[in-house]
Amino acid sequence: MTILTMFILGSFTIPMRVATTPASMLWLLPLVVTISVVYKATKVGRMRLWSFAKESAVLFGSILVFIVVAALILYGLAWIATGQLPSLLSGSTF
Amino acid sequence: MGQSWKENHALYLIVVGALAWLVPGAGHYILNERTRAVVIFIALTLTFLVGVYVGSIGVIDPVNAKPWYAAQVMNSPLVMILGRVGATGNYPVYGRAGEIGQIYTSIAGLLNLLCIVNAIYMAHLHVVEETGA
Repeated sequence: MTILTMFILGSFTIPMRVATTPASMLWLLPLVVTISVVYKATKVGRMRLWSFAKESAVLFGSILVFIVVAALILYGLAWIATGQLPSLLSGSTF
Repeated sequence: MGQSWKENHALYLIVVGALAWLVPGAGHYILNERTRAVVIFIALTLTFLVGVYVGSIGVIDPVNAKPWYAAQVMNSPLVMILGRVGATGNYPVYGRAGEIGQIYTSIAGLLNLLCIVNAIYMAHLHVVEETGA
């Protein structure tokens, strides 16, 4: 077994260093690409490069837009619950 | 694949499904959907390998992460071999990398389940078209 093979196999035995930062959310992008490509591969009637790539890209964009909208709604709810609601409750006459 | 082989409809569908499970895309390949098969194979294999690379082989754990394992094993029965290795507990899994690894490998498995069902359905349609039933 060559050193290169051992190195490649060995790299599958230790987790990568992935920081818990907002940038780590970018790991969802390759997954969304896979989901859109595989889903469209099962759905299109005939596999033609241009139409397949176009449909996959549209699905990729749709999923991404939905994720962004969901994230904004959740962020808004968290902002209200943690930032606005406590001050409203503490300032009330009750 | 001869006509006589397809006469046993149920067996034909089972073989297509089993092939699709054994190797992602193989079910479509046997149905002469070569491009589709290659796309599925590359996308799913790459996603699975990225998941194992990021989270380590320990993300495939049939003992402590059974729900994830159920999805991961849909990639291929060969994942069970990796599961035996991962179950030894010799490979560390932790933090965000472990989560990403589990999500990648499990999503790849669930997508392969979709492809298995699709391959079986396409095989059924092929038989129906050929027999005119």
